[in-house]
Amino acid sequence: MINQLFGNFLVKTGALTRDQLERAFETQKKVRVKLGLIAVTEKLMTLEQSEEVNKLQSVMDKRFGDIAVEKGYLTDDQVGRLLGLQGNQYLTFAQAVTDNGFMTLKEFENAFNEYQKALAFTATDMESLKSGDSDRIVPLFLPDDVEELQKEHILIAVRTLLRLIDSDAYIGRASWVSSINTKGVAFQCLVGDQNSDSKVALGFIGEDNALLSVADTFAKEEFEKVDLDSLDAVAEFINCINGMFATKVSSKTFLDMLPPIYREGSVTVTGGRMLKLPIYVDGNELQLLSTYDGMINI
Amino acid sequence: MSRILIVDDSRTSRKILRSILEDAGHEVIGEAMDGQDGVNKFKELRPDLVTLDITMPVMDGLEALRCIREVDGGAKVIMVTAAGQQNKMIDAIKLGASEFVTKPFEPDEIIKMVNKLVKVVE
Ligand SMILES: [Mg+2]
Repeated sequence: MINQLFGNFLVKTGALTRDQLERAFETQKKVRVKLGLIAVTEKLMTLEQSEEVNKLQSVMDKRFGDIAVEKGYLTDDQVGRLLGLQGNQYLTFAQAVTDNGFMTLKEFENAFNEYQKALAFTATDMESLKSGDSDRIVPLFLPDDVEELQKEHILIAVRTLLRLIDSDAYIGRASWVSSINTKGVAFQCLVGDQNSDSKVALGFIGEDNALLSVADTFAKEEFEKVDLDSLDAVAEFINCINGMFATKVSSKTFLDMLPPIYREGSVTVTGGRMLKLPIYVDGNELQLLSTYDGMINI
Repeated sequence: MSRILIVDDSRTSRKILRSILEDAGHEVIGEAMDGQDGVNKFKELRPDLVTLDITMPVMDGLEALRCIREVDGGAKVIMVTAAGQQNKMIDAIKLGASEFVTKPFEPDEIIKMVNKLVKVVE
């Protein structure tokens, strides 16, 4: 995500052209290596074990390294070493930009300092950005007064979107809203059982092409427009995110998932205190809506 | 090969399930969009196997499961649910559900499950 965030900053400030940025991303793909592959070439795991973990990863909301440790194939230390070998996204992006001769490393680092100023981020924040880990990056773009559980819900949503929809997606700054007029919405509310009065909800609105990217990729179909069929696909994607969230909180509270709701055409979405997080999917703006202690309504 | 009824309120999920089942050589003889519709189609079509979504409007999957088992105590029913709904899974087991699958669908898992249940039927 850092390559997208910082790359777009470089284009905006004129340090790179859009075309150079696209070429840098292409180069970067070649320097990026999967953890499973490194584990196999380092002879820490067999090919079969790596394939097994890859398969588990496709149904679990967990990272390759976490599953490999759980299965006893790798230790935490080994995962750390492999991740180091893999090279982080900031470094591979730096290498791609400088390898192409678009910027010198010095220019690149200076621009990164400018980026820090523009975002008013601390040095610690910048370390989190450089880590390339969405779990560390996403909180930087959320307001300070987000509840831990709501943050967890949003992290799962972004992680799942990166995994199932667009690995190049990136986010903007989130803000609190109480009501939005939009076109097309899909959302789902979760409510606690008799022992708790928890109410949370998650939904998506946004540009037609962003909603369609989610629908197309999730349903493996090509939808022509944002209608009840494509929004149903978005709703099922939300259902999967919420299932993972319900699993994560299940030791504390049982959350009953209500049937997802979706509407085509003009609609006013309200939710008391809704957090709206912009997510750029294939370059189009999607907006994640999240409530905690309240439902989303239309 | 078995004759299967898909009950799910989501068109997307019905379509994905149908293609997984048909690719494995099974016949999808009907689709229903909610629990009530599912019970009616079960009575009418008498499928070998039902896939039954839990989270549905009008009548949810648990209520539909109860009705289906009243019609046929030996009905083979695979419950379909998002993750994190353990309480409902336990309820479904008490009501006689045969198996569970969680969304997003994993084709190999579903086919293995269906084939196991069909063998019991034959
Ligand atoms: Mg459903």
